[in-house]
Amino acid sequence: MTDSVRAKPDDSAIVRVRGLTTVLNGKTIFDAMDLDIPRGKVTAIMGPSGTGKTTLLKHITGQMRGQSGEVWVDGRNVPALRREQLFELRERIGYLFQNSALLTDFDVFENVAFPLRQHTELPEVLIRNIVLTKLQAVGLRGAARLMPTELSGGMARRVALARAIVFDPMLILYDEPFVGLDPIALNQVLKLIRTLNQTLGITSVLVAHELAAVQQVADHVYLIANGKVVAQGDPKTIADDGSPWTRQFFGGEADGPVPFQYPAGDYAASLGFKGGA
Amino acid sequence: MSAPRDNIVTRSLAQIGDCGLFLLQILAAIPRSLRHARETVRQLWFVGAMSLIIIMVCGLFVGMVLGLQLYDVLSIFGGTSATGTVVAIAIYRELGPVVTALLFAGRAGTSVTAEIGLMRATDQIAAMEMMAVDPIAYVAVPRFLAGVIAMPLLCCVFCALGIFGGHLVGVSWLGIDNGTFWSNMTATVDLVKDVLNGVLWKSVVFGGVVSLIAVFQGYTTPPTSEGVAYATTRTVVASSIAILALDFVLTAFLM
Repeated sequence: MTDSVRAKPDDSAIVRVRGLTTVLNGKTIFDAMDLDIPRGKVTAIMGPSGTGKTTLLKHITGQMRGQSGEVWVDGRNVPALRREQLFELRERIGYLFQNSALLTDFDVFENVAFPLRQHTELPEVLIRNIVLTKLQAVGLRGAARLMPTELSGGMARRVALARAIVFDPMLILYDEPFVGLDPIALNQVLKLIRTLNQTLGITSVLVAHELAAVQQVADHVYLIANGKVVAQGDPKTIADDGSPWTRQFFGGEADGPVPFQYPAGDYAASLGFKGGA
Repeated sequence: MSAPRDNIVTRSLAQIGDCGLFLLQILAAIPRSLRHARETVRQLWFVGAMSLIIIMVCGLFVGMVLGLQLYDVLSIFGGTSATGTVVAIAIYRELGPVVTALLFAGRAGTSVTAEIGLMRATDQIAAMEMMAVDPIAYVAVPRFLAGVIAMPLLCCVFCALGIFGGHLVGVSWLGIDNGTFWSNMTATVDLVKDVLNGVLWKSVVFGGVVSLIAVFQGYTTPPTSEGVAYATTRTVVASSIAILALDFVLTAFLM
């Protein structure tokens, strides 16, 4: 089995994970994991299902705390923050949920305006201008008065993206942004991620399975498996790393370090045959 | 070490404890939720105004059937003139707050639980957390306060329609003298003992309990369709038991 690839400390890292250990329901999700997210870049977190990619995002945003270890975001150790400090930090982080998580009581405009109304006392005309600017950026200014139920999956994700960038955050976390999108919508989201990164300098972290999409947009890729970073590097070359993990994951092999069979007892004994191996 | 939650008694006790802690969270968040006054008014509309029809219709029929039954029984003793009095006392003291609370739990409590449960299942609660918006202050408190405010108002409507129903049957249909009906009632019904203790205090407590249970069940439900369905059922069951048990306790203290 490949050993953990230790991330090199980097002063320009906006997120720095050190010795993170997380155990959920008796299963070790992270085993003293180290990882750095470089500032101003697009970093992709990849790995087999259930390996803890979304859990890592939850650690970064303080939605979850591990058993031990440190998660530094922009110089602050997230597990040590008080609730008010955490909320302060979250105002500077955008989070794109896999299912968009739009507020179903509000239309598109009010969904994007929601953070502004909650955290500022801006005049209505200014809120309107900011919201329309963000909607224009994601190509949905014309859909401002539609309800979330009237949107396609791709449109909902773009509205959620507009909401996530309404405060011009320093960091955006995308949780599986490409799942369930048709090729057109997928390319629109890809273009938006890249544009936001290049024009506003926003650091982006995306959790994804789609290597082709990741190769188009990411500057750096981490492959997480077995509670550790098992490979990292440039998206064009990581697939050629040659380790069993990268061979199975990027080659789409059914069996390998990630076994086809979920851990179970002796098969013959389960079927009731005496003297099973 | 936390107690094992392996049987129904320990599970129920643990739920009551969790619910109590959740109440403390809600009370602590009330000052923070004052900036969400618009949301509280919106919820007041949903749980209060939208419950008016069922409360009015049920109040009318409860009063009518009460008038009919009491007339039948009181006529045995030649006391039909007391029909208005007994209808009013029964409605003010017991039927008004209790039936309104049971209807409120079924109509508004379930919708609050289902709404919050679905918000949790679709990550809307998590999204609020990520937008640095406290979901207790924005989601739980407005619904809780709306229930506490709406219940006494709905109870007043229920009582008014109930007495009107009793009058309709007793006076308009069965021929009790109109003056006797009202004068006996106004002479006997006590403002503090019957109206304030019954209509106000009981309904405020019932409104708080039903809203707390509904919000708690929605907020803590597992984010699955089955979880939301169970939570909605638990809201009705727990609210009904709590209302009837508390009614006995409150009656014993307020009498």
